[in-house]
Amino acid sequence: MALKATIEKLESYRKRLKQKKAEPISRKKAERIVAKLDAKHDALKSELKAAKKPSKQERLKAKLKVVEELQERAAWLVKQIGKQAD
Amino acid sequence: MKKLLLPVILCVLLFGFWISRDFQEIAAGVAIFLFGMLMLEDGFKQFSGGVLERVLDKTTDTIAKSLGFGFVAATLMQSSSLVSVIAISFLSADLIKLIAGVGIMFGADIGTTTGAWLVAGFGLKVKISAYAMPMLAISIVLIFQRSKYIRGLGFILAGLGFLFLGIHHMKEGFDAFKDQFDLTQFAMTGAAGLIVYTLIGAVATVVMQSSHATMVLVITAMAAGQVSYENAIALVIGANIGTTITAIIAALPASYQGRRLALAHVIFKVVTAVVCLLLINQLVTAVDWISNSLGIGAEDYALKLAVFHTMFNVIGVSIMVPPIHQLIRFLERAIPAPEIDVTKPLYLSRAVESFPATMEVAMRKEVEHLQDNAIALIAHGLNLSRQEIYATNDVAATVERSTQPMDVNIDEEYERRVKTLYSAIVDFASRAGALNLPRDVTDHIYELRDAAQSSVHAVKAVKHMRGNATQFTRTPQGRISEIYNELRTEIARILVEIHKIGQAEPELRSTLWLEEERVQIERDRKNTSKVIDSMIRNKEIAPEAATSFMTDSGYAYEAMGDLIDAAQAYYAETDEAMAEIERILALEEDEIEGLLAEVSETDDAR
Repeated sequence: MALKATIEKLESYRKRLKQKKAEPISRKKAERIVAKLDAKHDALKSELKAAKKPSKQERLKAKLKVVEELQERAAWLVKQIGKQAD
Repeated sequence: MKKLLLPVILCVLLFGFWISRDFQEIAAGVAIFLFGMLMLEDGFKQFSGGVLERVLDKTTDTIAKSLGFGFVAATLMQSSSLVSVIAISFLSADLIKLIAGVGIMFGADIGTTTGAWLVAGFGLKVKISAYAMPMLAISIVLIFQRSKYIRGLGFILAGLGFLFLGIHHMKEGFDAFKDQFDLTQFAMTGAAGLIVYTLIGAVATVVMQSSHATMVLVITAMAAGQVSYENAIALVIGANIGTTITAIIAALPASYQGRRLALAHVIFKVVTAVVCLLLINQLVTAVDWISNSLGIGAEDYALKLAVFHTMFNVIGVSIMVPPIHQLIRFLERAIPAPEIDVTKPLYLSRAVESFPATMEVAMRKEVEHLQDNAIALIAHGLNLSRQEIYATNDVAATVERSTQPMDVNIDEEYERRVKTLYSAIVDFASRAGALNLPRDVTDHIYELRDAAQSSVHAVKAVKHMRGNATQFTRTPQGRISEIYNELRTEIARILVEIHKIGQAEPELRSTLWLEEERVQIERDRKNTSKVIDSMIRNKEIAPEAATSFMTDSGYAYEAMGDLIDAAQAYYAETDEAMAEIERILALEEDEIEGLLAEVSETDDAR
């Protein structure tokens, strides 16, 4: 999981938050995004299960990889927000 | 007629000023009162960045609720006109149903009568100018603050201060007038009096565009003994008819729904006025009885008039609410919905420009309209049926089967169905930018405009590749047909994914779902490049055809990227914090490259 750009965006958000130019993000809202990504992951898994063509299977696997990457990032963000709250 | 009105009003005013100093005070009182109402409206508009609209949205799903909302809103704002303008604005943005709009307007008609109670019960008995001065002094301090809410509060306070000051001057004017003239000598009794004074009340309200102002004028004039009680009642009936003019004016630039609402208001007031004029004697007795029950003195005609004003509107609501569904059906027949012309903007009317939230909603709907037209045109431009590609389990096979060129002139359709809407969207966004809207609303409107621009670019890109895509796929021509079909399939898959996200419930979907499509587009772009290189090397394709294909594949990937950009902007979270999270998590270009490299390493290892 490459997080360089995500960390930079998080830092930029924190700066804007200090300047009151951004809305505060809560752990609950980040968890809602995680849930949305989980839903997409489940949908792709079901699609993969039903897929018969190898080319379609390959495409779905690649998509799953992207969603998994986003899920990891989202979980990381939830932790970061949690740390900030503590 | 309209051109004559202004000089006539000015002449009447100048003549009045010339013959009487007290008339000047009364006229100035009315002017200050109306100015106060304008400030009150401005103050409430400062709060309309969301709160007002959100409350309105959630509290109008039943007739009882919409009546209640109209009543409370008009009581607080002291203006049924402002509430009806809000209702028309919401109807035009398709945010509420016609029945809810009608309910709000009826409720507002009762709510606004509370103003007469305040004036009759409080304004005439207390020296309200004593309250007006400190209110005005404090308000000006608040108006100069940076926070728009504090500024809004300042405008509301100033509005109330001016209302009080206006009432004070009207009262003073009439009191002095009493010593010089006795207007009661012009009093008319019987049916003629009823009709003449009803007309005067209606005309006065049309001129001042405020029944509230007419009511205050009537109450103060009557308190000063300048108008008889019977004639004052007729004036109140006239004021109620005249007030419909504000809704009519607001409805003129509005959608057909706004015009239906204005017609409902006219029917409500005219029917009630006819009933009240026919039953005037019984109503006067009823007013006496109610006033007596409430402990209002027999000689306190000002408060009795307030009772009558409220009774008039309660009677109207009692008459109109039971057959409200029939009324709605009548309105729908009388002002039929225009046939939907997809080539014209459907939501961006001037009426939605009254409130920030309706502007954003209208813009979102119009961009959706444009997106729908753009996607239809892209599919047809590639000789694909949207229904078929949305329904199929095998997009590639469906695309391969779609060989028949569609009878569509893409250039003409682009001008008609895309460019016209896009121009309206850009124009609307520029107007929104010039208004003093909350920053987040302006940002959202600009983001939506950019989404529209991406959709337009996507159509343009497909326009360029349509010729070759049709030529090489209408009949099988070997490898060139296969690679053009692959391009068409990739675009079709993007359309399917956008359709899926559009079908998902807003609270369940995320624009991050489309990140995988962005990665997929990059993967396909690289694969296509490899395939075409290999085809040229192996002489499977003529160099001319290869050049055309490379140009067209450039257009195709451009279109796919634009479609994803448009969808991500359009379906972005409306909650700012959620949208921020999506932005933080979204993949950057170099990250997409990294992911692609990871996947190909895994594939190679396999």
